[in-house]
Amino acid sequence: MTSPMTSPQLEVRKLCKSYDEGRIQALRGVDLSITAGEFLAISGASGSGKSTLLQLLGGLDVPTSGQVLFENAALGSAIDLDTYRAHQVGFIFQAFYLLPTLNALENVQVPMLSVSANAHNRPQRAEALLVEMGLQHRLRQYPNELSAGERQRVAIARALANNPSILLADEPTGNLDSVNSARIMEMLVGIQQKRGMTLVIITHENDIAQSAPRHIRIRDGRIES
Amino acid sequence: MTLRMHEFYRAFRSLYTAVSSITAKPEDPPQVMPSQLSFASFAWKNLWRRRLRTTLTLGGITMAIGAFVALVGFSRSFEHEWLRLYSSAGTDIAVSENSFLNTSLDESVGAKLRALPLVEDAEPMIFNLMDLTPEVNALVFGWRAESYELNALTLTSGRHFRNGQPEIMLGDVLADNLKKKLGDTVEIQGSAFTVVGIYHGGSALEADAVVMPLDELQQLSSLQGKVAAFHVRLKPAPPGEDADAYLKRARLQIETALPGLHATPAAERAANNQLVVLAHAVAWGTSTIALIVGILGIVNTMAMSVFERTREIGILRALGWRSWNILLLIQTEAAVLGLVGGLIGICVGWGALRVLSVLPQTASVVSAAVSPLHLFEALGIAVLAGLVAGAVPAWRGAHLSPVEALRHD
Repeated sequence: MTSPMTSPQLEVRKLCKSYDEGRIQALRGVDLSITAGEFLAISGASGSGKSTLLQLLGGLDVPTSGQVLFENAALGSAIDLDTYRAHQVGFIFQAFYLLPTLNALENVQVPMLSVSANAHNRPQRAEALLVEMGLQHRLRQYPNELSAGERQRVAIARALANNPSILLADEPTGNLDSVNSARIMEMLVGIQQKRGMTLVIITHENDIAQSAPRHIRIRDGRIES
Repeated sequence: MTLRMHEFYRAFRSLYTAVSSITAKPEDPPQVMPSQLSFASFAWKNLWRRRLRTTLTLGGITMAIGAFVALVGFSRSFEHEWLRLYSSAGTDIAVSENSFLNTSLDESVGAKLRALPLVEDAEPMIFNLMDLTPEVNALVFGWRAESYELNALTLTSGRHFRNGQPEIMLGDVLADNLKKKLGDTVEIQGSAFTVVGIYHGGSALEADAVVMPLDELQQLSSLQGKVAAFHVRLKPAPPGEDADAYLKRARLQIETALPGLHATPAAERAANNQLVVLAHAVAWGTSTIALIVGILGIVNTMAMSVFERTREIGILRALGWRSWNILLLIQTEAAVLGLVGGLIGICVGWGALRVLSVLPQTASVVSAAVSPLHLFEALGIAVLAGLVAGAVPAWRGAHLSPVEALRHD
């Protein structure tokens, strides 16, 4: 495990998460520090606890014990989880999770609806993000009219909608072919570097994991390396 | 009539447009603010996604609001016509014993009333609802030939009746319905009466009514010497005295002079007479039942919608939506259902009123005129019904755990 010299943006202390009244232990005392602007890959077998860790890092769930700290403030107590998700975190999912009733432009505006300070120029800002993803000709297409790679690019634009400081991606290339996988990874790394964002990627693909400056493996709810 | 047809056409067009927008092809999604996403447009798209269910739910709320507009509109127009009946004649106060339908008041009370300082005139009256033919029944008023109330009727032909004579006057609508003219006879409860006058009344109730000598109606009803009420016209209020205060003073004077009798202002008498109260009760009762059915429809729709969109709610939470954002979205959908159902319901109810207002059987008591307040009330009830119905599903959706919701299939 790496120990960064600078103050961590995200810090996990003795994190445990169990389900089914303690019968399933997804995480067993994980400690982890992530510096602002870092690109971290997390890999592990199915059921190892990597997605649970990502959900706790993203404030989607609360730990059974232990703490997740964002800039030294505990999530869920010092920082409200909703506020944290709305302002600091952008999620990217393997299955894209675009809303089928909305076109690309509207999908990107969805996170903006939760932040009142973002009320002005929503369509223009969404359009700029989609243009950045190379989707300037697909703005008004619905998810079922887009290819898998295009859908994931819309999902990335959506994750960036509220200009978060952390990007959490749960197997973002899991549903893509090799060409699109490479393109999405290139895009994510480019965004991370250009915006100085923290990027945490869950992956089971070795080449992606190895391409990250920092890579950890999880096994049976513990960090292995 | 041209204007009425035009208005009806416009209402039909609105209804047609609303229904068309719901049943249009899926390839033509409605473009509500295509670029700018708002809670309202998001809600509309969610409803649009499940068109059949949305249409069925709208059907329920439409019927409920349609029933409300038609029935409550009818009962209010009925009340309004009673009020016009008093106001057109200049009646300020009705004096009666207990209830509106009570006919045990002695006719001799009239002299005592007329002797009171504030009373200008006091006219006895009785009325009854009677069968004139197997198909047509009508209100029959018994007045004295010298009653001031006759002055409110505009004779279109003939003359006033005379006391003690088997003579009647017919309202113009009723004369048309019965196809009677001057000199014809009408049989009422086995006795023949000659039509001596046809009039146009100040109220629709009078236009579809029979007016006959009080003594003849008393005899016909076996109520000799008895009346239902006295309609009292007051002397003008002294300068500087407020009209309400003057009315109150007159009531007090009458009730003090004639203990046991009630002096009721005309407006109150119109609103509180048993026929109007009964019409209001039936209208509100039926509308409430229809509204409950409509609300249950929305509850079902919203509960199903929240269940089916559990993962979507999880996605929204992951994207930074707060609980209250989810609550607002679901409640907006429920409110939109109420609003659209309310608008269509208003068209349906108003259309029903228009039809009733021209049918011979109901034309006398139904007016197609609906006050804007009544329409706003209907719309408010529709939206409120949507919000009430959406409350529990919205609360449930808002309190789903994001992770659990994301795992939902």
